[in-house]
Amino acid sequence: MPNQKPSLKRRTFLSAGLAAAAGGAAISCGGGGTGEGWRFFTAEEARTVDAICERIIPADRDPGAHAAGVVNYIDIQLAKRFKKHQAAYRKGVAGVDAVSRARFGKRFAELPPDQQTQALTEVGAKSGAFFNLVLNHAMQGFYGDPRHGGNRNMASWRMLGLPLPPVRGRQHYDDPKAG
Amino acid sequence: MEGIEGALVKSILLITALLAAAVILMVPATTFYFESGGGRRCASCHEMQSLYDDWRGSSHRGIACEACHGGAFTAQASFHANNVARAYAHLRGDVPDQIGFGNEFAQAMTERCKSCHRQEYAAWQSGPHSATYARIFLDKKHNTENLPIDDCLRCHGMQFEGGIGDLIAPIDRKGPWRMIRAELGGMPSMPCVTCHEVHREGQPMSKAGVEGRVPGPSQEIARPSLALFDRRTERYMPVAGMPIPEMLEGDRPVRMSKDQRQALCYQCHAPVSTMQVASGDDRTGIGVHEGISCLACHAQHGQKTRASCASCHPKMSNCGLDVEKMDTTFASSNSKHNIHWVKCGDCHTKGIPRKKAPAGAL
Amino acid sequence: MALKHVNAVIVGAGAGGGVVAKELSAAGLSVALLERGRWYSAADCRKDDLCNQRTQVLGAKFGPDDERNPRVAVDGKGRETVVVASDGAYSNNAACVGGGTFSYGAMAWRYMEKDFRMRSTYGAVAGSTLEDWPIDYFDLEPYYEKAEWEMGVSGDVSNNIFKAPRRKPLPMPPLPPNREYRILSPAAKRLGLHPFDIPMLRNTVPYNGRRSCMRCRWCVGFACEVNARNGTHNTVIPEALATGNCELRTDCMTREILLDARGRATGVAYFDANGRLQEQTADLAIVCGGAVESARLLLNTKHRLFPNGLGNRYDWVGRNLQSHTYPAAIGLFEQEVYDDLGPGAGIAICDYNHGNPGLAGGAMLANEFIRLPYQFLSAVPAGVPQWGPEHKNFVRNAYRRTISIMGPVQEMPVFDARVQADPKVKDYWGIPVARLSGGKHPHTLEIAGFAAAKAEAWLKEAGAIRTWKRLPGASLSGGQHQAGTCRMGNDPKTSVVNKDCQLHEVDNVYVIDASVHVTNGGFNPALTILANAYRASGNLLKAWKGSKARS
Repeated sequence: MPNQKPSLKRRTFLSAGLAAAAGGAAISCGGGGTGEGWRFFTAEEARTVDAICERIIPADRDPGAHAAGVVNYIDIQLAKRFKKHQAAYRKGVAGVDAVSRARFGKRFAELPPDQQTQALTEVGAKSGAFFNLVLNHAMQGFYGDPRHGGNRNMASWRMLGLPLPPVRGRQHYDDPKAG
Repeated sequence: MEGIEGALVKSILLITALLAAAVILMVPATTFYFESGGGRRCASCHEMQSLYDDWRGSSHRGIACEACHGGAFTAQASFHANNVARAYAHLRGDVPDQIGFGNEFAQAMTERCKSCHRQEYAAWQSGPHSATYARIFLDKKHNTENLPIDDCLRCHGMQFEGGIGDLIAPIDRKGPWRMIRAELGGMPSMPCVTCHEVHREGQPMSKAGVEGRVPGPSQEIARPSLALFDRRTERYMPVAGMPIPEMLEGDRPVRMSKDQRQALCYQCHAPVSTMQVASGDDRTGIGVHEGISCLACHAQHGQKTRASCASCHPKMSNCGLDVEKMDTTFASSNSKHNIHWVKCGDCHTKGIPRKKAPAGAL
Repeated sequence: MALKHVNAVIVGAGAGGGVVAKELSAAGLSVALLERGRWYSAADCRKDDLCNQRTQVLGAKFGPDDERNPRVAVDGKGRETVVVASDGAYSNNAACVGGGTFSYGAMAWRYMEKDFRMRSTYGAVAGSTLEDWPIDYFDLEPYYEKAEWEMGVSGDVSNNIFKAPRRKPLPMPPLPPNREYRILSPAAKRLGLHPFDIPMLRNTVPYNGRRSCMRCRWCVGFACEVNARNGTHNTVIPEALATGNCELRTDCMTREILLDARGRATGVAYFDANGRLQEQTADLAIVCGGAVESARLLLNTKHRLFPNGLGNRYDWVGRNLQSHTYPAAIGLFEQEVYDDLGPGAGIAICDYNHGNPGLAGGAMLANEFIRLPYQFLSAVPAGVPQWGPEHKNFVRNAYRRTISIMGPVQEMPVFDARVQADPKVKDYWGIPVARLSGGKHPHTLEIAGFAAAKAEAWLKEAGAIRTWKRLPGASLSGGQHQAGTCRMGNDPKTSVVNKDCQLHEVDNVYVIDASVHVTNGGFNPALTILANAYRASGNLLKAWKGSKARS
């Protein structure tokens, strides 16, 4: 018996370690991930959508869609509430890159801003439904609540001058100053 | 026969035991795998990335994940069970938009903060901000006068996961009231993580030069972690971006201290929407104390004001009185003259005497 | 196990059902109050600007859930779509204890005398089923007063020279004016209009043991953290429960009204929170599900005597679905007008509700509730590019400098604007879903255009440097002010319930919610639903001859 114990321990540890490695590895790359931390998009798609959103809400003296992480919002929602739009994005994003290639010979994200704007205008005319979808989602991601993945550091709310959070107490029932 | 059978049973038992041990050990072992990467492996799950990035840039970057969050050797079954549940959810693709923490963790963190910040912990514990849930929510005088509402939880028990109806019963002004989960009664309703975000960006601070004195308005010490846990959004608001209100006394704009740390105080010690001094829970200084930061007198954590007068005042006032014994709420809570709003003319009703001597400090 | 028999089973714990539950249980009747949604608190709300009851792009926070409650929407071209609660075409109100009153903006309007006499006032309107109510304003006046004082209404209507006669003032004063109010009030007076403080089911001073509004920016669409906004969830429903005679059951989806061989109601069949089918027997079945769901429940109640649905012998159930058509005008000002003082809406005029040349009715006009940033985008005018640097720049410059005035146009009821039980699509519980079809009457849009022009003129007078209008489309009107689908009337051939809200066909089934509204006034309908529920409950109790649970 005494001499059996260490070997038992060793074997258990070995198997546990293997299991741990397997479990860890499984968790690290699980969840339908696409390798670069996106939930729905491929890395290329994310780059394209990020660039589209930045054209829709460009940086000026205030942050734009890229800095506000709008593409995160869209990616997160596509994996959850916007599942029904997944196909539209898959097709639409490819379409945007196709238009860019046809017109300017490069992927959308690699174009300079003015060419991006031209390409997007063309996309808007050609496939208006997809463009409007991205437009709405970009606005939600930029102007909506950061808890959904966009509007990083409340960039848009600061831009609009909303006190965050507002300073607001309330009257107390027993407050002699009330009424 | 018997021997062989016995051996068979034995080996089956052994294999089962081994398997069970492997399965049970797999959980902490997996945890160990993640923590051994110094946080990098945690961030391989995309929902952890921003938390990891924040921590890497925070003043707590030198503290390992497991020091606060628990690790392979944490002897708490619920911790490991929770990890299993989260890993399972992750694998199913059920990933939260943002990772938050619950009340249980907020409470546990208070104890973990203590392991380094002993002095601050002690000061906090001796002061009003360590008030327990029971002290706040079962107060008979308060509850008979004010119906408990969800908004109470904005400043007390902000990490509590439910509404006021999940916290105490009954929701009326008759009582008697009780905590629905009795164990919460003794816990602090404003734990450390209310005003401090551990992952907030900042440089690690050396303790020297921070301790030991009450900072005046010109000696602002903005700790990097200062941020409000905003219950509405379940997110931290950094103190640098929060508003300091433009307070009014009647129509007159009140001169406000520029100390940005006060933005934190104003979230709870807040005026009503008229922004009038002394409305709601406001304590903005006017009169002799106008323009002075909250934190000039209320030292962090303990909120003790006892020793604070001396940092600005000579002991004797212009009119020869001991400032600490003047008829204000500082000397006695029964006084009609609230220390926040007291004016010379409140006592000198026939005219304010001229200064006899130049003021000392300030 | 059979459930204990009750005097009344009430389907829906919203504006109507809440009041009925309280009145009946206080009178000693035993009541089972069934609600398909949950009882929410502010902790469920978290001020999420993309997921609340006003902005539903990430879901309708206070129900119903998108997963289990589809509807079928038929558009103007006859195209059918299966829609979920967060889709605009769903015409969602809410599914929770308190119903719409849990998260509304709480405007508490009395309709005007003419609003009950639309047909007599304006004559027949071609293509509309415009009709008088079988009751008049004075039948409802005492109950308006009761609702105002029992539930708590603030405001000051003394400057409203158009208001119908009233005996008592409102129990609470209005909130102090915000910056928009201070700009709009003198401008209205210069135009010869009569501005006044909007009445609201909102505590402005402590009332009924609850505190006053803290003026936060999250009002309509959100839960009230300070419990200052008065809905049935924090007034009459707790009172009903306190009587000991009323049992509230949440997460309970009613399938149909149960009828005996002679066609009298014996109770309702519903799916409880665990999905089990339950039968609640009762002396009275009272339907308070809102205009869409009440009609759906009647239509889904089939019987040998009522092959087309209960109360539907003459095909009036589900007809005349109406709500309010909201035109708006927006003005851009030189100076900042945003002062972060909620709820935002505070000033109104009734100068254009009636007496507009060539128009059959009109609308109250009021400034809008605070628009959170994402909501604000719908106020961007057509001339501004929809995206790019100019759009962003416009939003940045205009956000704190615009005032929006809008008004609920009293709609011309349309017979073909309707709710049906869909023949194919079923919900999670296997119940045929509501099928919505039809559109607005053209005259409604004419009135909307008129109201928008008046709103624009008001903004111009107030000093707006640029103004523009937002005009509604012709699609079906439903949503949060939904009404009309179980019309109240004296003639069983052209209405569903009598003036006591009792089905013409079956004397122990009542419909008590906005479904019974013949027309829907040029005002938010909540106070009228509440007042009518008090009135109908009172008449029901007068006629009640059954045994009480407890006296």
